[in-house]
Amino acid sequence: MKDVAVIGAGMTLFRRRLKETGKELSFLAAKMALEEAGIQKSDLDMVVMGSAPDAFDGIHMKGENLIDGAAAAGKPYVRVFNGGGTGVFAPIAGWWHVASGVADIVMVVCEEKMGSCYPHPQTAFRHIWDPIIDRPLNPNLIWLFAMEMNRYMTVYNIKKEDIARVAVKNKRNAVGHPCAQLADPNITIDDVLNSEVMAWPVQRLDVSPPSDGASALIYCSKDKVHQFTDDPIWVDGVGWGIDSTMWTNRDLCFPRYVATAAKMAYKMAGITNPPKDIDFAEPYDPFDYKELHHMEGLLLCKKGEAPILTREGVTQRDGDLPICPSGGLLGVGNPIAATMGQKVCEVYWQLAGKAGKRQIPGDPRVGVGQAWGDIMQMATVIVLRR
Amino acid sequence: MLEKQTDPTSPMHWRGDMQADYMYTNGVAGDRFFRHLMEKDTFLATKCKKCGKVLFPARLYCEDCFQEISESDWLEVPATGTVRVFTVATINAHGKKMEEPKIIALIDIDKTDGALLGIIKTKDLKRDFCGVKVKAVFKPKEKREGTLKDILYFEEKI
Ligand SMILES: [Zn+2]
Repeated sequence: MKDVAVIGAGMTLFRRRLKETGKELSFLAAKMALEEAGIQKSDLDMVVMGSAPDAFDGIHMKGENLIDGAAAAGKPYVRVFNGGGTGVFAPIAGWWHVASGVADIVMVVCEEKMGSCYPHPQTAFRHIWDPIIDRPLNPNLIWLFAMEMNRYMTVYNIKKEDIARVAVKNKRNAVGHPCAQLADPNITIDDVLNSEVMAWPVQRLDVSPPSDGASALIYCSKDKVHQFTDDPIWVDGVGWGIDSTMWTNRDLCFPRYVATAAKMAYKMAGITNPPKDIDFAEPYDPFDYKELHHMEGLLLCKKGEAPILTREGVTQRDGDLPICPSGGLLGVGNPIAATMGQKVCEVYWQLAGKAGKRQIPGDPRVGVGQAWGDIMQMATVIVLRR
Repeated sequence: MLEKQTDPTSPMHWRGDMQADYMYTNGVAGDRFFRHLMEKDTFLATKCKKCGKVLFPARLYCEDCFQEISESDWLEVPATGTVRVFTVATINAHGKKMEEPKIIALIDIDKTDGALLGIIKTKDLKRDFCGVKVKAVFKPKEKREGTLKDILYFEEKI
């Protein structure tokens, strides 16, 4: 396998219902990444697109529609997706293009245009269920998340306020992020606990809202990276894993599929003691409890311990193990696949010292990004190192 | 450029849809499961010869062992179970506020290794339903159609 470096990244504003089309958003993110890397479309060998269910943009096989905005017209191109896992899976797919030796310079573009789905993108989630066993009950996906959150709270006797702390931390972390939709320097735990109940225990401010947006990342092989930088950020490990389709049979408390993916990535990266070896992480946080779930799945702490670390301030930007320094999905926004911007681009920017107001103090060397998708069962993990 | 729109009709637009209707087959195992449900007030499950897991709802294969289920592996189980976890749903599939909040529960079905999503009929929306024993309440037999909707709801088993 060849070593793979990140040489540029880009990210658009994340907002509800932008005027831009999906391909225009892709163009804006791709252009930023090309500029940061100091290259042009003609330097790209191949392009990988990540975009989640077609039903959001409302264009069947939308990967094809997005080609031109992704600087892919006339090049080898593929779209990959596994729902919410796409934001880290697309960069994994981009990595194997270079690691295999098939390409030297590859751009990954992730896009989501959720605002097209009218009146609300929630409607698109109605068709992801098993048609025989689940659909007749006309479920809302939030119901499932509510049950998962309740299970987590029940098994470990966790208070709702300790989960709400995550939303507060991330929305505050997002202050100063140029793409953020939901940054709020003054938000409190009470604001979260007093927000509208959607499906108990899930309340409005526990959730990251749908957005439109795009992000992009550029890889270069070790052979050519000296042309771009003397201090490359390397992809050190990748992993992915999936649990049963029968969600009813899953352990709703511990995400074992995240552990599967993490172990694969850590083995590749030579990480033997995750809490010590990893300097910061960007676990997927579409809901506040999911950050906690995913910290445990990423083996960054013991089962049930994540809320305690959060309460003690360990996961703050200036804590011992900063979690979601970007502001995450809760603070920046959740255009599904485009959250590569928080989960992978941010890890790169932090390691490269380019995170601006969000920069983690000290000298972070190893960062982990993770996403979660399909129907609460897919985990994708990436480890970057300077 | 890159401004948030609160009104979806404010940018110039084309209004479209992705119209497509579907007939989903119940499948081979599902066919047998639901035909049984139309006649009896119990469920069908299948048992994996290799690992001994009782698959519910009945399936044709064990996904772990990749073992095919044979005729002798089918069994009848009671339509009862225990609530593993639940939520009080106040929004429907479209994200709209429901008229009446509903208790939606994940129910571990007795004598199986499977579970089912179900509605719990109750007036006590404030109760902690975790661990509560429940039983399925079915439509009258002559009205059953061989879908999950033949289960009207679950109620506490006293
Ligand atoms: Zn088996």
